Amino acid sequence: MFQTASSTHAPAQEQAISDVELRQVSKIFDGEVAVRGVDLSIRPGEFFSILGPSGCGKTTTLRLISGFEVPSAGDVLIQGQNVKRTPAYRRPVNTVFQSYALFNHMTVWDNVAFGLKIQGCNRQHLQKRVKEALQRVKMETFAQRYPTQLSGGQQQRVALARALVNRPAVMLLDEPLGALDLKLRKQMQIELSTLHRALGITFVLVTHDQEEALSLSNRIAVMRDGYIEQIGSPSEIYERPNTAFVANFIGDTNLLSGQVEALGESMRVKTASGLQISVDSNQMQLPNRYQATSVSVRPEKIHLSSQRRPGVDNCFEGRVKHMMYLGTHVHCVVELTTGDCLTVLQSNQPQHRPDAQMPVYVSWSAEDCRALAA
Amino acid sequence: MSRSAVTDSRPQSQQVKGSGSLLRWRLTRLIGPSVLLGPAGLWLLLLLVVPVLLILRISLVPGLRPEQAITNYGLDNYLQILQPTYLRVLLRSVTFASGTTALCLVVGFPVAYWLALIAPKRWRNLLLVVFILPLWTSSLLRTYAWITLLRTSGVINLVLSSLGLPEQNLMNTTGAVLVGMTYSFLPYMVLILYASLEKLDLRLLEAAADLGASPNVAFWKVTVPQTLPGIAAGGLLVFVTSLGDFVVPTLLGGPSSMTISRLIYNQFLGVSRNWGFGSALSIVLISAVSIAIALLLKYGDRNPDGFS
Amino acid sequence: MPRRSSFRPNSSRRLFLQGSAAAIAGVALSNCRGGVSDVQSGSQAADSSSPTSSGSGTLNIYTWADYTDDELIQQFTDATGIEVSVDVYDSNETMLAKLQAGGGDTYSVIYPSDYMVTQMVELGLLTKLDQSQLSGLETMQEKWKNPVYDENNTHSVPFVWGTTGLIYNSAALSEAPEDWDYLWNNKDKLSRRITLLEDVRETLGAVLKSLGYSYNSTDPAELEAAYQKLLELKPALASFKSFGWQDELLGGDVLVSMVYSVEGVPVSQEDTDFKYVIPSSGSSVWTDTMVIPAAAPNAEAAYQWINFNLQPEVAASMAERLYLASPNEAVLDLLPEAILSDPSLFPSEELLARCEGIAPLGEVSALYDEYWTKVTSA
Repeated sequence: MFQTASSTHAPAQEQAISDVELRQVSKIFDGEVAVRGVDLSIRPGEFFSILGPSGCGKTTTLRLISGFEVPSAGDVLIQGQNVKRTPAYRRPVNTVFQSYALFNHMTVWDNVAFGLKIQGCNRQHLQKRVKEALQRVKMETFAQRYPTQLSGGQQQRVALARALVNRPAVMLLDEPLGALDLKLRKQMQIELSTLHRALGITFVLVTHDQEEALSLSNRIAVMRDGYIEQIGSPSEIYERPNTAFVANFIGDTNLLSGQVEALGESMRVKTASGLQISVDSNQMQLPNRYQATSVSVRPEKIHLSSQRRPGVDNCFEGRVKHMMYLGTHVHCVVELTTGDCLTVLQSNQPQHRPDAQMPVYVSWSAEDCRALAA
Repeated sequence: MSRSAVTDSRPQSQQVKGSGSLLRWRLTRLIGPSVLLGPAGLWLLLLLVVPVLLILRISLVPGLRPEQAITNYGLDNYLQILQPTYLRVLLRSVTFASGTTALCLVVGFPVAYWLALIAPKRWRNLLLVVFILPLWTSSLLRTYAWITLLRTSGVINLVLSSLGLPEQNLMNTTGAVLVGMTYSFLPYMVLILYASLEKLDLRLLEAAADLGASPNVAFWKVTVPQTLPGIAAGGLLVFVTSLGDFVVPTLLGGPSSMTISRLIYNQFLGVSRNWGFGSALSIVLISAVSIAIALLLKYGDRNPDGFS
Repeated sequence: MPRRSSFRPNSSRRLFLQGSAAAIAGVALSNCRGGVSDVQSGSQAADSSSPTSSGSGTLNIYTWADYTDDELIQQFTDATGIEVSVDVYDSNETMLAKLQAGGGDTYSVIYPSDYMVTQMVELGLLTKLDQSQLSGLETMQEKWKNPVYDENNTHSVPFVWGTTGLIYNSAALSEAPEDWDYLWNNKDKLSRRITLLEDVRETLGAVLKSLGYSYNSTDPAELEAAYQKLLELKPALASFKSFGWQDELLGGDVLVSMVYSVEGVPVSQEDTDFKYVIPSSGSSVWTDTMVIPAAAPNAEAAYQWINFNLQPEVAASMAERLYLASPNEAVLDLLPEAILSDPSLFPSEELLARCEGIAPLGEVSALYDEYWTKVTSA
């Protein structure tokens, strides 16, 4: 049934144009810039996430797509159509709201049927589709309840059903899982992913939860202060962040600031504290010598040993300052002889567990660190 | 009989001694809530229940005058209400009140909507105060002002004739009564609707738009149902208060302006001083209003958990 | 029977509305505010003090609006050292209801009208006055030495009197009304330009009088006839109004209004186009009195207050101010000739003889009320 949704949009898919495109879109509220010249192109059928800290402009970006905000500059295209001047109610998108925004004066059934009724869907067809949508989110037994009689997770499912029953070209999800507890959130993430695969329509998810974005998305746009810092697949974003902000925001990292000392085969960065760090040329974002930079090393890429490891690109001496036992992992803070502190995450192997105050060596290869614009 | 009572009481008292703590627990459970509800309950009892019961009693005494002793009871007063004359009075009162309620809603909703959702936020409180300001003057003054406007040589006719339009006979008509009462009670309606509309979750309107509802559809399918409790409460308040108003019908209405409230007034403070009949009329009025409120509480709120 | 409204607009408002037809409501509002708020503040002040101050020095008075004023009270307090607080009522029945509802021991002096005195005496609500404590009654006119409503003034002291009549716009009417029948004879010409009092006793009484019956008829057949005659006039009526008729009359929308002299005469004094007339077949004449309730606190102060008000100078200034007639010869001596010769205030003996006081009705009052409801709900 829902496959027909994608089939109706099939021409768009065949032409391989984007389902959603933002061209140099800016939004200014009372002199405050919320979105600055954003360019985005979301492919048909893609699960696309907009990730960023609160106030970065991600929700505004979503609202520019849904039509609740009109761009101050730039164009918004949905399936190749410029919808800049199209009001929200005429756009082929549906939103799942952070607060769910269910109509509490209507039953679950009427909530889900709302969009179809407005479209003038005939009774028989409507009943079939509403039932199907409720089944899809496992809420068919709650059809005659009112939203206030449902738990948060159940309301979330109803909100999903209410949006997907309309077979939109694009589903917009505004922090849909933000209000749920951790366990439920994990479960709903799986269901969202399943839904996306089953429906085959474009999902645009706004979230501040990097883990959620990484696990669900085909591509992620990381936003900061109204700009897009980086767009890429989850692994690209994680493994090859473009900026210190992205490296730091997506997962944990150690950032060591310094200067590019040498270029070419053996690129080296020298920190203010005197560390000489080798960085693989593939991981070097900065082509110029003496340029200020931040070297990012993920905690799990750092190796801890009691002896200096020969043949490793970067190996420094230090001592364990704190140690936290996390079950599957051990989390250490190591203070180097230079005074720099590094966070290290090691898988829990009892024979290699370091003790606090123990002198250790930290090491990582040149490919495992990345020199970023400061 | 007294003996059995004595013998009965003995095991009881023993039992009480035996289970003293249980009894104390029971007493606490019994008295606890009543201590908490006591002040409110007493208040209701003294100021609502007792007076209504007193009125009910008087209403059952045919044609009771205040100086008479109560000798016999009967339903004569109530049967009297069924005479066409009094039924006409009731009908007129209800017509005035429901007309006023409808007009207040039609005029008040757009105003409240504008105040709550469209007007600039920082002006909102000031605008609200400006709109409520007439409430601070006596309703009699406001009604006098309408005489100035409505009378044949009044302001409205002056404007009409200066525009070359024919003079209208506005004063001392049912229309004048409705206009005057609507003006009197509009602020209440606007206040209640404002409170209701201000709480309106605007995200629901976005959700409606998102699902394809044009602003017009969203208004009827979301805004109105969401503010239905406010509409019902405002409507009820206006209906009940306008049912009790007789100043406006007396001042602005024609020679046939008798309303139930004026009739009740006449029974208590008029020439016949028929407190029995007046009480019966009051009981009818109180019952009608109570039923309206009960219906509102029962059906006005379709969602069993209440609108949040 | 509401007689004089406590909401009587003051004269400045009347003149204002008369002068400018395009009066803006807002200005009118601010203009009439003074009159009303005066009354309200007066009653509020009284309300706040009356329940507690029935003790030693304070005298609680329950009266018509305007029958006392601050200056008068100040003079009294200066002379006697007794503080006065005032509550006002707008109908005898309101006053009676309050007294019967348990207010009898609050007030020391009350101002009931004639028929109400009779009723209150019957109900045992009034003190039999100690004549030795009263002074100034010697100069009372013969008629008021032994009035029908209270034999030998046993329970009451006559204070002021007035009539009920018609006020009309003499500039707009070619023929001046002289009697009640004028209304029926001209009902087509005066369609919706007449107001009658919203007062069953006065309005039905006037119709009874126009039929040649007593103002106080208790004959059901006569009442039925009066009811039918009133129905005949109804299409010509703008409305029944005891207060609020001024605007429409002064604006020229209403041409004839049935009014109490205490409200009609001041209007005629301010604008000579408007004339107050007592219908020639007779009307009602009413007397307001001062009485002491049976359960009155501070009776001594009450006598002092009554005696103070009986002083010719005090009574004369009041009569002049309120356009009321005085039953006291000594007071009349102090009034200017212009007032004494005004037939709207002091009608001829002959006309006065045809007027009646409103009398208590007993059981028949229910019939009056029934007819009244029929008239006003048809």
